[in-house]
Amino acid sequence: MKIKYYTELVRRMDWLLFSAMAALAVASVLFIYSASYHGPGQPIRDFYKMQMVWFVVGLLIYLVVSLVDYRLICQWATVWYAVAIGLLVLVLMTGQMIYGARRWLGWHGFGIQPAETAKLATLLTVSYYLFHHTLQSRRQLKTVWVTVVMMAVPFVLIMLEPDLGSALVLIPICFGLMFVAGVRGKHLALAVALGIVLAGVGLPIMWKLKENRTGRRDYQKDRLTVFFHRDYDPLGAGWNLNQSLIAVGSGGMTGKGYLQGTQNLLGYLPRSVTPNDFLFSVIAEEEGFIGSVVIILLYAVLLFSGLRIAANARDRLGMLLATGVVVMLFFHIFINVGMTIGLMPVTGLPLPLLSYGGSFVLASMTALGLLQNVWIHRRIY
Amino acid sequence: MIISAPAREHNPRLRAVGTIIASGLLVLVVALWRVQVVRGGDYDNKQENQSLRRIRVPAARGEIVDRNGVILANNRPSYDVAIYLDQLGHVSKKTNIVRVAQANLGVMSAALGMPLTITDNDVLSHYERRGPLPLPVWRDLRPEQVAAFAERASNLPGADLIVMPVRQYPQGPLAAHLLGYVGRADENDEDEIEKFYYYQPDRVGRQGVERACDEYLRGSPGGRTIRVNPAGFVAEDLGEKEAEQGGRVTLTIDVRLQRIVEKELAAAPSSDGKELSGAVVLLDVRTGEVLAMASLPSFDPNIFNPGTPAQTINAVFNDPGHPMLNRATSARYPPGSTFKPITLLAGLASGAISPQDTVTCSGSIVIGNWQKHPFHCWNHSGHGPLNAYSAITESCDVWFYEEGMKTGVDAITKMAAEFGLGQPTGFDIGNEIRGLVPTPAWKREQQGTQWWEGDTAQLSIGQSYLLVTPLQMACVAATFADRGTALHPYVVQRIETADGQVVHEGQLDVRARLDATPQQIELVRHAMLGAVQESYGTAHRAAVKGLSVAGKTGTAQYKVAGQESTRDRAWFIGFAPYDQPQVAISVLIEAARDGSHTAAAVASAIFAQVFGKEGERSGAVEGRVYED
Repeated sequence: MKIKYYTELVRRMDWLLFSAMAALAVASVLFIYSASYHGPGQPIRDFYKMQMVWFVVGLLIYLVVSLVDYRLICQWATVWYAVAIGLLVLVLMTGQMIYGARRWLGWHGFGIQPAETAKLATLLTVSYYLFHHTLQSRRQLKTVWVTVVMMAVPFVLIMLEPDLGSALVLIPICFGLMFVAGVRGKHLALAVALGIVLAGVGLPIMWKLKENRTGRRDYQKDRLTVFFHRDYDPLGAGWNLNQSLIAVGSGGMTGKGYLQGTQNLLGYLPRSVTPNDFLFSVIAEEEGFIGSVVIILLYAVLLFSGLRIAANARDRLGMLLATGVVVMLFFHIFINVGMTIGLMPVTGLPLPLLSYGGSFVLASMTALGLLQNVWIHRRIY
Repeated sequence: MIISAPAREHNPRLRAVGTIIASGLLVLVVALWRVQVVRGGDYDNKQENQSLRRIRVPAARGEIVDRNGVILANNRPSYDVAIYLDQLGHVSKKTNIVRVAQANLGVMSAALGMPLTITDNDVLSHYERRGPLPLPVWRDLRPEQVAAFAERASNLPGADLIVMPVRQYPQGPLAAHLLGYVGRADENDEDEIEKFYYYQPDRVGRQGVERACDEYLRGSPGGRTIRVNPAGFVAEDLGEKEAEQGGRVTLTIDVRLQRIVEKELAAAPSSDGKELSGAVVLLDVRTGEVLAMASLPSFDPNIFNPGTPAQTINAVFNDPGHPMLNRATSARYPPGSTFKPITLLAGLASGAISPQDTVTCSGSIVIGNWQKHPFHCWNHSGHGPLNAYSAITESCDVWFYEEGMKTGVDAITKMAAEFGLGQPTGFDIGNEIRGLVPTPAWKREQQGTQWWEGDTAQLSIGQSYLLVTPLQMACVAATFADRGTALHPYVVQRIETADGQVVHEGQLDVRARLDATPQQIELVRHAMLGAVQESYGTAHRAAVKGLSVAGKTGTAQYKVAGQESTRDRAWFIGFAPYDQPQVAISVLIEAARDGSHTAAAVASAIFAQVFGKEGERSGAVEGRVYED
């Protein structure tokens, strides 16, 4: 009986969405291998094998998250939220300091990034909160403030790590959810204006404080300077952007061929961050414009499947969850790809499914599992 | 379509989110199109610029050989210990490189027991300009040092024995002035520097044949293309274009003759026991080929290699004896009496005098109204009555004062010019100075005074302002030998490219024919034969038994600044054999002890060996001392 129920659910899965995800996972392993390849006879780091393990683990989570009714999952939203906040606090207190930031909770070589769980928990919680209000109350200003506060708590905690990129993701997720939930346009505009003012005042003050404390120029400030002045410090802060641009550009229409990306082979693309932040540069260099477009198209399949699922959800909660996932993924994709070609400032936001990294692979697959979940549990006439 | 299945809930805001996402993705695609397709070429160039390096590989310099193929200049291997900066462990930042290198060099220096000679600056500039190439630390090691290095090499990371070609002159200082030497080029081709990221300069010829034939000897450089990583070290070798070896230059000189000439010149007695200065030129009168050319003091061109300490090289350049100066072509001297045959021929050719003209030499002559300062003959007691023949054989000054004034300055300078004096001989490796044949116009311009009779008289005996080079005087001798045909002298017989294609061949090249009848020329030649062969001839010490040598000596006095006494510049010019002349010679000795006899004796010794008449030299005829 139970088995029959679940096979029926699996039969109802969206296989197009699954196929696009699988294709990206395969590309991920292939190009992480390429990013770790530094010429014949050179040792290749195990990143690609680790990534395969993450995908296998991720697939299990994906199945569980797809099949357990999302309404059940969301009833526990408060718990998820509390756990996520707890992890964020924990990482600030006990996290390992790596490259000047505490982002990892780890033990015995394994680690998770609480920022990733926080993104998902906030998404669930805000969706659940907005779902529980009538249209009338959703149109009140109070809804906006409550949502903003729900977002602000993890936002501030993530900023303290610091991980500006991950913190920023929360903003489009929450505003996207409020938008499709029907919050009044002028209320949203007010919140956005307030956010801009806060950022305009807050960021410089924060940088200043940090510079006074550490005596060093803040790297976020450098990254923004590089974004606006591409020639700023080309051998230092501007190196990554310039080398990434050269990699992507020199790929041309058809690319240099798999394992032939000279920018990566020779180490002009920084070896420490290429498998995560600059994996797209490797793909673009080796497979050219055609390869880049194929990747973008695969993402388009994910995103528009997600919107279709949102539109076909059985209830508003499903619609909100699906939209939140789509917005979260889109924001990562746009920032990361935009970063490799200088369209966006350099932030450490990874590319969903492609970039190396366990926490984010699992987070992405959980998010895609939620999408699948909403689709499986849609009402069928 | 599955993706846009009809929405259950008609939510316009969801549609708006879709529009935003669609435009976002479109923006990415358009931006990627711009970067990858529109500007792809630019980025491709940038990529190449930062990772591709072209290295210039100089060609091996061509050989120089004598007329019989004996090697005068080639290349030998120099074993250098070098370090590869990219193999000194993990090096990534520039600031580290000097410290890392110096630490390693210190270990190497201690292990090999050789002191360090390179500085931090050398390391840094090598790293910046020629990063992936080996940095030579100790050059030109002796075999035992090579062995010592080989034993310890495995414990010295980044160190390697490299073999670099070094120019070698197997005959040592032999013909050094003719061959020249090589040095590092100061002026590098700017275009080439642009083209090659790492520019390894050629060695360029600095003097003599090395300089004159530089473009053929150099060959054409090859290149290596490598890919480098961000630290500038070799990541991949992309290909090599082999350098083309330089061409082979065959000279007309004969090492055997050159050795004879240098030995005999060096053996000449010089005054005050100083190092002898002088020059000898030996020409083949039938072709104009230079058979030997010597200049003393000399130098060893082998010292001009990168392993020689700068002091050694500077010592040669600053030597007050000017060993680098090729006295045969680049120094000028008054010809003295060796000019008299020209004066005589000028007089005969212009018709101003006749061979029968007799002048009675009383030891001196008064010119114009300069009774107080008569012009003296070198023989103060006088030669008595003389005709043209005796005037040459006994080198009487008074005869030439009188007959020279009769001939006139214009006819004499015209004939001097026909012999090629006062102008370059056209010697193929150049570096000649022209000398000087004074004329009334020249004197007016340069000295601001009138030309007077006395100047003509002085000119007639090769004094006045007349200046010549030993090569010019060898050509004068050759022109008499060849009965009036003046040839351009040359020393480069043949230039071949590395694959044996002949690109240049030296050949007989007539410069001029003297404007005089064969009888007139023969008369002067005959008198020159007498000067050597007659027992009273002033050049009799040049005689060789069994060989008909003709010639003329000369002595020019010169004052050394700050000293009372005068010194003699001794000359001999001549040719042999008289009837079928083969070689012509000119000998100049700057400070000869016995005046012109010294030069004549040198010529005699050379002729004897050239013609295989050793042991048959007439030897010094004791008796009356002849001077001229």
